[in-house]
Amino acid sequence: MGLVTDHLPGALLPLPGGGALLTAIDQVVNWSRANSLWPLTFGTSCCAIEVMMATGAARHDLARFGAEVARPSPRQADLLIIAGTIVKKMAPRLRTLWEQMAEPRYVIATGSCAISGGPFLYHSYTTIRGADEVIPVDVYVPGCPPRPEALLYGLLTLQKMIREGSTLARPGQVRRPVLAALPDGMTLDDVRAEIAALVQETATVDRKAAAAVGAAFAAQDRV
Amino acid sequence: MAADLLPLAGLALSPDALVAAVQLLCPAAQARPDCDRPAVKVTVGDWPELAGRLRAHADLLFDLLETHTAIDWPESGRIELVYLLTSLRRGHHLTVFVDIPRDDPVAPSVCAVWPVAQWQEREVYDLFGVRYADHPDLRRLFLDDDWQGFPLRKDYADAFMLDRPS
Amino acid sequence: MTAPAPTTLRARLDATPWASPLGTQEYFVNMGPQHPSTHGVLRLVLKLDGETVREVVPVLGYIHRGIEKICEHSNYRQLVHLTDRMDYLSALANNWAVTRVVEKAAGLETNGRIEAIRTLVTELQRIHSHQLWWGVFGMDLGAFTPFFYGFRDREILTDVFERTIGGRLTLNYIQPGGVMHDIHPEFVRDVKAFMAVFRPRLDEYEALLSENVIVQERLRGVGVLSAADAVALGATGPVLRASGVAHDLRKAEPYGLYGQVQFDVPIGSRGDCWDRYAVRMCEMRQSLRIVDQLIDHIPEGKHFLVKPAAKIKVQPGVWYSHLETARGVLGAMLVSTGGEAPYRVHLRTPNFNNLWTVTAMAPGGRVGDLVAILSSLDLVVPDIDR
Repeated sequence: MGLVTDHLPGALLPLPGGGALLTAIDQVVNWSRANSLWPLTFGTSCCAIEVMMATGAARHDLARFGAEVARPSPRQADLLIIAGTIVKKMAPRLRTLWEQMAEPRYVIATGSCAISGGPFLYHSYTTIRGADEVIPVDVYVPGCPPRPEALLYGLLTLQKMIREGSTLARPGQVRRPVLAALPDGMTLDDVRAEIAALVQETATVDRKAAAAVGAAFAAQDRV
Repeated sequence: MAADLLPLAGLALSPDALVAAVQLLCPAAQARPDCDRPAVKVTVGDWPELAGRLRAHADLLFDLLETHTAIDWPESGRIELVYLLTSLRRGHHLTVFVDIPRDDPVAPSVCAVWPVAQWQEREVYDLFGVRYADHPDLRRLFLDDDWQGFPLRKDYADAFMLDRPS
Repeated sequence: MTAPAPTTLRARLDATPWASPLGTQEYFVNMGPQHPSTHGVLRLVLKLDGETVREVVPVLGYIHRGIEKICEHSNYRQLVHLTDRMDYLSALANNWAVTRVVEKAAGLETNGRIEAIRTLVTELQRIHSHQLWWGVFGMDLGAFTPFFYGFRDREILTDVFERTIGGRLTLNYIQPGGVMHDIHPEFVRDVKAFMAVFRPRLDEYEALLSENVIVQERLRGVGVLSAADAVALGATGPVLRASGVAHDLRKAEPYGLYGQVQFDVPIGSRGDCWDRYAVRMCEMRQSLRIVDQLIDHIPEGKHFLVKPAAKIKVQPGVWYSHLETARGVLGAMLVSTGGEAPYRVHLRTPNFNNLWTVTAMAPGGRVGDLVAILSSLDLVVPDIDR
């Protein structure tokens, strides 16, 4: 990636039509980044059960969104899901883990504790008031703990951000955090329907179109 | 291997008998009527010897130190150590209170009697600042080594803590 | 006198002089706080001689949130929701432990329906917790399938909780003077449906993991904990029972409706990882038996005898109450000087005391055995640190 991401924008942008070409390359790169997020297995407390384990297991199946390859080593991961309270003693370790992850890296803070300190906000002498005091956070997923569906919604939000929000021309730009709370009037059934539609869309093959592509290739071979 | 540890049903002493039995071992022990379970208060000088006898005495057999903690009483200038003892073999419980001065909190360690006390005492040291004589490894347990103060003391305050807005 | 000839392959390997003429050196390795098999942010400092563990020093505090300090600034009702977040896999038992001590201190009454509901949901959550343990246990030993099977069946029970309680994990259901909501009209039917599904699946679990020869070889004779050590190191729950001590507070000091139901307390004979595994597997069957006896006999009545808004006041004194969670004895000590807030709360958590057995079990074994030992202890780290 180094050659493409570091040198391509500089080479392409001065050329006529280079901007359009770069946009096309951005789309390919962002699409692949968004659909192959590798999360780090990082859980400190209750959220880890709901967010890391229940979401990864058969019923909610994180694999549908290409994010099931949980790695225990930060060097192999590009998505840090902060699942649980961060206390003073853990904060430097969290920072170290985040720094060890390769760029581009993304952070989802799940649950009240990782957002604000949650139920341990007042009168606690150790609880850090939100993981964003330690590392930058891209998406917040509220809940105590959030349901697996909430994390899936947060993950879809992150994927949308990656697809639309980053370009090779400005690598490492700081994106605005997005709150992944359900919008007003949106029910869980709507979320389920949206997820089902998305899965349906990405898993459906248009046979006619595929046959046309195949025929075109076959015609090329004959020539 | 485990036969001698199987609970002996029906041999639990009644609360009054238990307190009386402890007072036989240690005449200075006072009953604590404000506790819901049998409880005695002993002096810090009597405690190490009594601890060993509570564990070994055939009628008492307190083999499990269920928990050990402390209560801070700044008005009367003392820290009250609490030992919750359980006898798995007899099926009875005893709470022992030991007062130590708050400005120089030194207490004897009971690790030799109940090995789990080693870590329970480290917790009390960490959160209350009680120093245990003869403890093999007295370090902070939860907080960083350079932490200032003992957070479960009533007068603990630092710039980090937030009060709940009323 | 000569030493007896080594009998097993491992003993023979251990007796073989592998060391090079240059000699060997002991070294230290950090396991955690970010490690997949410590199940959270537990850190163990290992002193190793090659692959052999010489010493284990647990280092705590990576999730110490100061719950006992927060309790001192809360009223008696607000204590309950904090306990959800200690041993989150036994949230209901934690709620109940604090509720019992508050009820005892404030002299609050309950009725048969409340006690029946509490016993039922707590026993269901014992199964819920053991299902998760079983899946994760398989995963720690290198088998990923149990994780999916355990969670598949756990989700059925999660739905049962969700219908009645509204939450999936941190339930905050058992309150001083009652339970938060009455049971859902479909609760009894749902629980029966779960039991019909889960009974055969428990046999499937046994066929999949228990009868697997690799699992047996990795567990038998590994991490042996004698009964005397278990008691001296403060272990309770399945860890203590696997070492042969039949101590279960549900039998020893029955609370709820445990005095009225028939069930057995499974105990081990050797105290190795296999016994701890087998004890938990048997406990799931016993829990099903308890639920079976209670599910058709929930008495009629109110589910709340003290209004949720009523202030709870406690006379000065010291109270202590304990019960059996999925991991051992959870005790709650309450010190009151009168008024609406406790002067001091201490929580005796099972995991904090069970953890120390690892310092007795691991030395002499291999690093791979340590993972099996940790997993057989079924630790929940926020319950250790509070």
